[in-house]
Amino acid sequence: MSNQTNESSSEKSSLLGWFDERYPVSSTWNKHVGQYYAPKNFNFWYFFGSLALIVLVNQIVTGIWLTMSYQPSGELAFSSVEYIMRDVEWGWLLRYLHSTGASAFFIVIYFHMMRALLYGSYKKPRELVWVIGMLLFLVLMAEAFMGYLLPWGQMSFWGAQVIISLFGAIPVIGPDLALWIRGDYVISEVTLNRFFALHVIALPLVLVILVFMHLVALHHVGSNNPDGVEIKKLKDTNGIPLDGIRFHPYYSVKDAMGAVFFFILFALVLFYAPEGGGYFIEAPNFEPANPLKTPDHIVPVWYFTPFYAILRAIPDKFLGVVAMGAAVVILFAMPWLDRCKVKSIRYRGNSYKVLLTILVISFFVLGFLGTQPSTPLYTKLAQIFTALYFMFFLVLPFTSANEKTKPVPERVT
Amino acid sequence: MKKVLWIASLLLLPLTMNVQAAGGYSIELESADNNLRDQASLKRGAVLFSNYCMACHSLKYMRYNRVARDLGWTDEEVISEMAHGLNTVTENVMTRMEDGVSRAVLGSDAPDLSLMARLKGDDYIYTFLRSYHQDDQGKWDNKALKGTAMPNVLEGIERHATPEEYAEVARDITNFLAYAGEPSKLQRLDLGWKVIAFLLVLLLLLYLLKREYWRDIKH
Repeated sequence: MSNQTNESSSEKSSLLGWFDERYPVSSTWNKHVGQYYAPKNFNFWYFFGSLALIVLVNQIVTGIWLTMSYQPSGELAFSSVEYIMRDVEWGWLLRYLHSTGASAFFIVIYFHMMRALLYGSYKKPRELVWVIGMLLFLVLMAEAFMGYLLPWGQMSFWGAQVIISLFGAIPVIGPDLALWIRGDYVISEVTLNRFFALHVIALPLVLVILVFMHLVALHHVGSNNPDGVEIKKLKDTNGIPLDGIRFHPYYSVKDAMGAVFFFILFALVLFYAPEGGGYFIEAPNFEPANPLKTPDHIVPVWYFTPFYAILRAIPDKFLGVVAMGAAVVILFAMPWLDRCKVKSIRYRGNSYKVLLTILVISFFVLGFLGTQPSTPLYTKLAQIFTALYFMFFLVLPFTSANEKTKPVPERVT
Repeated sequence: MKKVLWIASLLLLPLTMNVQAAGGYSIELESADNNLRDQASLKRGAVLFSNYCMACHSLKYMRYNRVARDLGWTDEEVISEMAHGLNTVTENVMTRMEDGVSRAVLGSDAPDLSLMARLKGDDYIYTFLRSYHQDDQGKWDNKALKGTAMPNVLEGIERHATPEEYAEVARDITNFLAYAGEPSKLQRLDLGWKVIAFLLVLLLLLYLLKREYWRDIKH
């Protein structure tokens, strides 16, 4: 195995050797794939990183082709989407791949984040992996929000109207800020044009750069695993972690299997329920944007509903915006809020297990409430679960400081 | 593996619930029970649509040649059946009523119906077509959409047909509008299982490949 390390650079006569002298082809491949040693005990939760990458590629590729036929103008946006659905060869498939992909992206990312919470993947030395990941999540939310305006349907228009008006609640600068974002007094073609520009180039570029940094940071510190054991602590005589296996071929073949399993679920939705039961493509969006007619019930797409429920739970509009923002931003602080030295939930105390369960339940309940019209009962429930959501982050620093943990094994199990 | 399947099925569960069906309509919707694969029904629906709806409504995203191709008509047939020989096949299915006439006569613009089935659902259209009724003064209204500006254009058919025959008429029109809402739907449904069958074979092969590679990993 050790003779592989310098095999290519020594063969200067080969084509690869020619490249290696001028560009780090072999060493980059080896560092990130060929000789990247990952713990051998990855489970189900570890598929979602590679899946997120695959969905990102799907969004970019289908997005490029959609851009070829889409018209970002108030007059033509809606009908150009129908043109794609009806007249463009395989246009319906491209459009559904993109719209289903958007929801799939969030499902995958929520699982990916849950994995980090279960196994303490945000803890030292992976704080920056987590922080970059959270930046990715933020940018992804902006990307999805702006993309949702482009079909220029009723829900596109009014969803954006509601969300952008939230910025207006910020004291002093609010109204001007909302005006600056929209570029107009209401959502208009100006807004559509700039959202198009941000959606198809600015934010995807940021996403790709952040994904690159996310992976560089991860490969620098090494992957965590379901036992939360640092495999780099125990190495063999060649300096290879005893519990590490090369990413390629072991995890490339395993991730490929996971990807195909994911494709099957994806295809089920794509071909048999592309509207996602009205959650992925909302029915009112089959009516063109009409600034004079407000839909009965404006709901954001499902992936924003937990945060939307938090917004509505707070009676004061500005404080609601603050709470909604805080619900996302507070996640950045996880590496420092959680003071427990033990990473994996397998060896952590009951306090963390209870807290995490409450957080997950709150997230699901808030997600449901965000899809419903507000009634007094639902508002009360949203307030309770908003409080429980934040309780997780406020209580965690105290309980985690002296948690009753179980002994962590030396090697992965 | 069991756990994975369990999570996967849980994830797909919400998709089986239809949010759109839960929309607050004032009456219980009847099931349209229409069948997109019934070409005879689609053809009848297209002709009915042309004779009874197109006076006011358009399908502006639908072209005649696409209708012909999907419903099994020739280009000449679609023009004679749906457009009285007056259009070319590359034109869109548009009403001949001029702009503003509907507003002047009925007080409201007749909406384009290309996407009505996706906006409101097949059952809504079927129920709407069957919900016209006359009050004591002989004034028409619709239970599914109170105060609608649309007159009961199918009254003539309804009066001279048995309830079953009229249900068939409403179902055929609904079926045609359901088709017009997403002309590629059958293509989608027919392609889906082939893609999934291929992926299942690929999954099996990749599982075997993975097992083969992972033989050398001691657990």
